[in-house]
Amino acid sequence: MTVIQTRVLTKRYGGSKVAALDSLSIDVGEGVTGVVGANGAGKSTLIKILLGLLSPTSGDATVLGHDIRTEGEAIRTAVGYMPEHDCLPPDMRAIDFVVHMGRVSGLPPAAARERAADVLRHVGLAEERYRLMGGYSTGMKQRAKLAQALVHDPRLVMLDEPTNGLDPAAREDMLALVRRIGHDFGIPVLVTSHLLGELERISDHVVVLDAGHLLRSEATTAFTADTGHVLVEVLGEDAQSRMGQALAARGVAWQPRGQLLEIDPADAPPDALRDIVRDLAAELGLGLVRIQPQTGRLEDVFREEVPA
Amino acid sequence: MSERTGVIHDIGYRPYTGPREGRWGIVAGLLRHGALSTFGFGRSARSKVLPFGLLVVTLVPAIVFVGIISFVGMDSELLNYAGYQQVTAAFVSLFVAAQAPVLFTRDLRSGAISLYLARPLGPAAFALVRWASLVLAILAFVVTPLVVMFVGGLGAGAEVRDELPRFLVALAGALLLAVLLATVGATAASLTMRRGLAIGGTIVVLIFGLGATAILQEIGREQGVEDAAAWLGLISPFVLVDAVQHGLGDAASSFETPPDNPTTAALMLLIALAAAAAALLLLVRRYRTRGSR
Ligand SMILES: Nc1ncnc2c1ncn2[C@@H]1O[C@H](COP(=O)(O)OP(=O)(O)OP(=O)(O)O)[C@@H](O)[C@H]1O
Ligand SMILES: [Mg+2]
Repeated sequence: MTVIQTRVLTKRYGGSKVAALDSLSIDVGEGVTGVVGANGAGKSTLIKILLGLLSPTSGDATVLGHDIRTEGEAIRTAVGYMPEHDCLPPDMRAIDFVVHMGRVSGLPPAAARERAADVLRHVGLAEERYRLMGGYSTGMKQRAKLAQALVHDPRLVMLDEPTNGLDPAAREDMLALVRRIGHDFGIPVLVTSHLLGELERISDHVVVLDAGHLLRSEATTAFTADTGHVLVEVLGEDAQSRMGQALAARGVAWQPRGQLLEIDPADAPPDALRDIVRDLAAELGLGLVRIQPQTGRLEDVFREEVPA
Repeated sequence: MSERTGVIHDIGYRPYTGPREGRWGIVAGLLRHGALSTFGFGRSARSKVLPFGLLVVTLVPAIVFVGIISFVGMDSELLNYAGYQQVTAAFVSLFVAAQAPVLFTRDLRSGAISLYLARPLGPAAFALVRWASLVLAILAFVVTPLVVMFVGGLGAGAEVRDELPRFLVALAGALLLAVLLATVGATAASLTMRRGLAIGGTIVVLIFGLGATAILQEIGREQGVEDAAAWLGLISPFVLVDAVQHGLGDAASSFETPPDNPTTAALMLLIALAAAAAALLLLVRRYRTRGSR
């Protein structure tokens, strides 16, 4: 099912010559869709247009079947939105604030209280929900922001840089949460980030924006497709070159890739290759960490196509 | 890190299938929430101190008047409903100045505005509901002393027949005052993210505006241009409400040069309401452009 569809959507701010969004045509389906782009690529602009808060200069879009130009209210009723910047009143407790946001989204009082407690637990703020949000860490704030986007059981959520400002551990937690929303909760997610690497792991589909242009829009599998190469990682003194020499002696072509060895298995069937590598590691006294098919990474896509 | 918990993986997500409120249900809830938070409800305990402190101070004259009538046995003419807001104008002004930012500046400062505007109501309705919340809060603030005097007066033996008409005129005046004060407060508080600036701006307009109008009217009276001086009432909501109560409701005026005929008072009322409507229109426009940021 298509939840978001844009057709030659263009936005120019004021009289600006450069378009913040340039003829963007994308289709977003269920699951998690990542929108990736550097600062100023137009990610936030896209979300605000989809919410009906900003009118496009030209082009069309629908969200859950509603026209963004005429049915903003219907869209905002059904969508949950997490902005990129701070949006929490410091003098309120998370529980009161999320209940309030549920009410503003149309939940009756009792339902708002029940669901607020529920979603705060889902985002991992069960203990801290009675504290004033002014005293929250960045990680807790991001969770509270996510909770208010979920409280009314939206049919789609748009998360603008949910990992912004988080340390690596908190970032992993947030990504896992976003993935759960899309897959376990069954709520389609549109999530933005300027880091390709993190979206590759949680998204089913990735849209890459560059200065308002669509660079590519593909299923994540296309980005991370099997490259046909095999990666080998060995541990030990001078492991890479010793293993490399041994492989070359057996007529197996390889090239270094960081600390790893990238092998083109064209010359040998995969099973035979596996045996050869395992035997060689044993002979040389090296620890074999892994032998695995190499997949392309979003970082590579980005590196190839976006200069700097 | 204390904020990482394993608990989140144990509970399944439950969709909501129950009823949802329509536009008016949302408006009513937001209105109530806004008016209450102006008095500090739903916020930290500290936020209740100022609004309730001011309310208590504002009630003192009303309680004193009722006491005098009850124990000294003075005539209930002492209960000047229509003139009450002019007596406590400084406190009412402080309440508006300090509490309007709760509904406007605070949303801008915290960024919560971007959450509200992404909710079903949208920018225009949200701005108007915020303004209406402030009207309600101010109304509660200015009507409470009137009710204390009215009920206290009746308790002390005053006749409903005598009191009710004067009380009703003052109630209408209080409503007009709440609308005008809320518009001034909302305009100042929605123009800045700095609370101090919003408070200062509102105080200048309301308290200095009142003082300046009183002085100018005094000068006008001395110069013998009472008719022109009456129009100066448009500068201050307090003087304007007094003029309308006097001109249209036959209440005693607390100022030097109230309009001497109903037509002038009615015209002044219309002009003031038109100005308030224009200010509201600008407020809505500011919220519309803010939504797009
Ligand atoms: N209100 C505005 N007025 C004028 N130009 C704007 C406005 N908002 C954004 N822009 C411009 O539009 C372009 C896209 O901005 P946008 O905020 O959508 O990018 P983004 O991908 O969200 O970036 P970031 O990663 O920094 O959040 C930028 O060049 C920005 O300068
Ligand atoms: Mg952005």
